[in-house]
Amino acid sequence: MIAYFTNLASLGAIFCILAATLNVAVGYAGIFSVAHAVFFGLGAYAGAQVSLLLIPDALVAMVVAALVAGALSLCLALPALRVRGEYFVAASLGLQMMAVTLFSEAKTLTGGIGGLTGIPRPHILGVEVSTLPVALAALALILLATALLMRGSFGRTLQAIRDGESAAEALGKNVAAAKALAVAFACAGAGVAGALFAMHMQFVNVESFNLDQSVLIMAMVIIGGTGTLWGPLVGAVILLSLPAGLAFMPFIPSTEVGAVQQIIYGLAMTLLMVFRPAGLVGDLSRGKSHA
Amino acid sequence: MNGFKAGRRAVLGGLAAAPYIGQARAQGTSPSGDPYIVGTLFPMSGPNAEYGSVFTAGAALAVQHINADSMLRRPVRIQAEDTQALPQQAVVGMTKLVNVDRAHYVLSAFTAVSKAVAPVGDRAKTVMVNGGAVGPDLSGLSPYFWNVIPLAHLETQALLPFMMQRNLKRVALVYVDDPLGDAILGILRTALPQVGGSLVGQFSVPRTAQQFAPVAARIRQTRPDAVYIASFGAQQSQIIKQLRDNGVSQPLVSYSAMNIDSVRTLTEAEGLIFTTQSTDFEGGDAVTRRFATDFKARHNADPGTYQVNYYNAVRLFGLLAQSLERENAEVNGENLRRVLLAQREFDLVGGKGRFDELGNMSAALQITEIRGGRLVKVG
Repeated sequence: MIAYFTNLASLGAIFCILAATLNVAVGYAGIFSVAHAVFFGLGAYAGAQVSLLLIPDALVAMVVAALVAGALSLCLALPALRVRGEYFVAASLGLQMMAVTLFSEAKTLTGGIGGLTGIPRPHILGVEVSTLPVALAALALILLATALLMRGSFGRTLQAIRDGESAAEALGKNVAAAKALAVAFACAGAGVAGALFAMHMQFVNVESFNLDQSVLIMAMVIIGGTGTLWGPLVGAVILLSLPAGLAFMPFIPSTEVGAVQQIIYGLAMTLLMVFRPAGLVGDLSRGKSHA
Repeated sequence: MNGFKAGRRAVLGGLAAAPYIGQARAQGTSPSGDPYIVGTLFPMSGPNAEYGSVFTAGAALAVQHINADSMLRRPVRIQAEDTQALPQQAVVGMTKLVNVDRAHYVLSAFTAVSKAVAPVGDRAKTVMVNGGAVGPDLSGLSPYFWNVIPLAHLETQALLPFMMQRNLKRVALVYVDDPLGDAILGILRTALPQVGGSLVGQFSVPRTAQQFAPVAARIRQTRPDAVYIASFGAQQSQIIKQLRDNGVSQPLVSYSAMNIDSVRTLTEAEGLIFTTQSTDFEGGDAVTRRFATDFKARHNADPGTYQVNYYNAVRLFGLLAQSLERENAEVNGENLRRVLLAQREFDLVGGKGRFDELGNMSAALQITEIRGGRLVKVG
């Protein structure tokens, strides 16, 4: 039982990192990306290759994954500088679809659809460690960095851009640099989560980094509450623990859990958007229609 | 009063002892105690849910037979975990099966799912058995990962002599871009020329693709004698239908993944030729006949290959656990593997199933054709 909950908690911590970092782009900077799973995947493949070919050290893998994902996030940042709103959603959707194809075809780096197997468990200084404490430590650092950044002038600039990009530009804010930095921070964080995911699962393939995954991460942020520090974490925990919790309900046949889960997801999302459009932790006054 | 007291004691004592009396009686007649848990990691929702139901039907019938025959001292129970055919959900499900449900034996399906759960089962020394995925890279994933389905490369090789007999020498291949498709492509490239045939066209399709009209047009340009389809899941029916709709009239050939209702009942699939495991449901051995009769009685339909495979997977557990119970050994992964490697050959549906040292089963193959919505053995 402990091993089961440790596994769930490890995945929970990894997805909390994903949701928290996407929140920097979506919640604070107003950049609605549906390609976060791409950078999760880049981090996972980078971390897996470091572990397989060089050294199975979690810290090294996470640093390399963050650098790779952060650097390649320019692919997302460049269109982000040119378009906004629903146009950016379409651009990120294109990136997501292109990346899935690349992940499937770049077989020497990603193993293609068959994926990479035999990834070593995480080690630190040569000692095998559980994924959970490493993931929790990474999550704490990312949350701390987010809180510090958002309290400072950088955070205020991002929120100004989110609430009125033209106005922020008119006030002399460097919109392009702020957006690029926000995207790089979010994607580097996703890369860290990817490296942890690869070492935890010991197997990665493209099916974990598709559009469904990006939508799931986005749903975590929206359900928890965009633009809040803790909201995305609440969303991640709820969306990950729901299927696990349903599996323990004795009155639901184990063969029907998946169908029940889909119905509950849909219902919960609808009710949430009607009664708490700003998310569970979000500001109640935001998002409601005043017509 | 004394009599009442004595009677009350007798009643209370009887009630207290009743469960144990029941158990003691049951030891001799029917299985009792904590059940053996057979976990299933099948897609029960999502686009591949049809497979989950098909796989479960075979496994459930085997559990029913094992329990009805009192084959084991303890009953067998299925614990299902929905994977949606996705690796992440599969690992969560496998971890639950191993650590919470204490599963003795786990059935898996789909290549990515099987690869993802193999390290978890390997660490826990829990036997995992695949009866649905045929990617050749599933061989030797772990000492505790076995296959009760002939892997794809064996099926494709078995079909080639039959195709040459029917003068289907120029072959075009539509293959899904994954390890399964790559493996079949490799075999057709090397083995077709050796038997006198040739691969005149090869068309890769993404796993999620649903539009095949352009592929059909290109296939027609190659003027093949037959079109080999190497795909699986919801895509298969679409490929068949769209090839026919777009004027590809040549015979279609494939492997055992086609043995599902959505293909069998498809009008355009008439004449489809594919390999399956050899199973003579009417004239075969007693195990095979019983399986076929009971399956038909329960589901009002003929069983397919996947139902046979997962029936065999659970029956294999019954046979191995029976051997262990006889020697009063614990039923766990290590002992199950030890008995498997010691015995190697088992009476399963379709005849003898033989296992190699990697846990891969080889079985006789047959070639079937869909005629009027039914499977007809043609080779």
